[in-house]
Amino acid sequence: MSRPRVGIFGLTGCAGDQLVILNCEDQLLEVVEALDIRDFLMASSANDTSCPLDVALVEGAVLSRRDEEALNRIRERSSLLVALGTCAVWGGVAAMDRQTDRAALLADIYGEQGAAYDTQPARALHEVVKVDLNISGCPIEKDQFLGAIAHLLNGDPPVFPEYPVCAECRMRENNCLLLEGDAVCCGPLTLAGCEARCPALRVACAGCRGPASDASVASVLAMFGERGVPREEIARKLRTFAPVNGG
Amino acid sequence: MGAIRVEHLARIEGHGGITVELDGDAIRKVQFDIFEGARLLEGLVRGRRYEDISPIVSRVCAICSVAHALTSLRATEAAFGVEVSPQTSLLRDLMFLGQSIESHALHLFCLALPDYLDYPSVVALAAEKPGAAALGLRLKKLGNSIQEAIGGRAVHPVNAIPGGFGRLPTPEQLITLRQALRQGQTDGAAALDLMASLPPADFCHADTVFAALHSDSDYSYYRGDQVVVLAHGQRETVPASAYQRLTNERPAPHSHAKHSSYQGRPFMVGALARLAARREVLDSRAEDALKRLNLRLPSNNPMDNNRAQAVELVGDIERALALLERLLREGLRDERAVPVTPRAGTGTAVTEAPRGLLFHSYTYDDEGRIRSADVITPTALNAASIEEHFRCAVRQNAAPEQALLAKKLEMIARAYDPCVSCSVHLIRARDET
Repeated sequence: MSRPRVGIFGLTGCAGDQLVILNCEDQLLEVVEALDIRDFLMASSANDTSCPLDVALVEGAVLSRRDEEALNRIRERSSLLVALGTCAVWGGVAAMDRQTDRAALLADIYGEQGAAYDTQPARALHEVVKVDLNISGCPIEKDQFLGAIAHLLNGDPPVFPEYPVCAECRMRENNCLLLEGDAVCCGPLTLAGCEARCPALRVACAGCRGPASDASVASVLAMFGERGVPREEIARKLRTFAPVNGG
Repeated sequence: MGAIRVEHLARIEGHGGITVELDGDAIRKVQFDIFEGARLLEGLVRGRRYEDISPIVSRVCAICSVAHALTSLRATEAAFGVEVSPQTSLLRDLMFLGQSIESHALHLFCLALPDYLDYPSVVALAAEKPGAAALGLRLKKLGNSIQEAIGGRAVHPVNAIPGGFGRLPTPEQLITLRQALRQGQTDGAAALDLMASLPPADFCHADTVFAALHSDSDYSYYRGDQVVVLAHGQRETVPASAYQRLTNERPAPHSHAKHSSYQGRPFMVGALARLAARREVLDSRAEDALKRLNLRLPSNNPMDNNRAQAVELVGDIERALALLERLLREGLRDERAVPVTPRAGTGTAVTEAPRGLLFHSYTYDDEGRIRSADVITPTALNAASIEEHFRCAVRQNAAPEQALLAKKLEMIARAYDPCVSCSVHLIRARDET
């Protein structure tokens, strides 16, 4: 693709994935040279908000009618829609415990006027529109982002690991926090790509990249069971960044 | 009847807009609109265990994720009566400095500077002034490398845990940082030259009330338990545990907004407030920077918050360098996080995020599960003050050409460096009528 037209958008979230793009300080000027960035509200006040786009990079989850309308408009004008970050790919922290009574929470935090807010339970992008590529992570990893851009410029789809963080952790020869400690580490069930950053720092994996498709869930749950970790405890941890079983 | 409407404010973090309605010379409505979706994180953390809280609430905001993560840890540690080591405290200070350097460089160069030089973005600016863009990116990277070395990651740090750190940085990492900070001193001086060369931005003057974290020893963003309020030459202190006297959120009559006020008046938090409240603990290079930019304190021009951030940027680099020299001289003690034993109780912490005061207050049960959580962010605190300064700019720019006034209002909003994702507590649905 020669100089594709690109839009970079944020729905509801922390803007961390757009920040990671801006944090590619050593590559940023080269990246903006290679891409024709037409619409990037966080970085520019001159945006073409209606032109067709070759690639839309969208971070954040859908939490309001406004988000939903914005996402539909982005989808209509884009050939390729990329979900950027855990909120966009899985729903993220706003989707944790999605079965919670939202009306009660709203009333609790914002009082009577809470009921009038434009707000919905958090949804990942794929629950609203067709998504062509997922780049997970909370936030996304610089290398995966830059790699994906390079692949797209070359016209071939990027390939990301489907195995769990545990595999990367073993490659780094870290001491296992599960076997040698008593941590509730989400590494065996969480999507790799972070080079096992947290376990390398002796901090248990929090599951921020969402579930790995290539994980032996049953045996991992059995292992936690043998160690006396209640099933609800591990389930709750895993629900922090990605809703499970639709809930 | 005239109206100014900025649908979607560009070059800020998150989703906000501006609405002004005029009736002849009378101002009918002035609003800083927030239409960020409500994530309800304070509600969702209820029932969660203490070790999960900091990683969850850091997701309130990426640019200030260090502030949220560490203020959260301090509130949790306060609830459980945990005292961290002086070394932990120093390393957390350093994380805050890295955050401030990154955030101020991002704001000054990528968000605010294009307005002064009449470019739509830093990308457009880079095409004609590559040196200025490269300078900003180098300073940004400096802040990020500190956050990465100590916190494990630039956005949403992972290495700071209840009681201390997962793993301490290596001496090699500290030496690399020291080298980068020495380069940073040169870059900081160049940033000051650039700021000093900018055309003046002077659209409104209002007698402003300021609030900042009190510090009687140094310019720490992380340590302290008292808030100073500066109003009409008077100086009052409010303990962090009584933060509701300051935040005192009330529904504003014209909208859904909850606005903060101190004794009925809006107040400003952030770099300009900090400099006004903590001038006596400013180090000498920052003091020189203040003079270089001819910044008089306290300032009644909110645009001066940009220059105040430049002064802090220079001071931050100095203090980070001094902390590193100390760590390298004394050597890192190989210590683990202090053990944390949960108990029922409430803990409140206050810090200075790059945009101003940040409060976290939690109540835990005896098993260490959250019963209630309250997070008050600087952008929520500033909202009423931003509108006050909008109103003042509309009044002081008589019969203006509306497009020009709109740009001035945008620049005022941007000078506050608003972080709309952060304003979890300030949800206002715009009147769609």
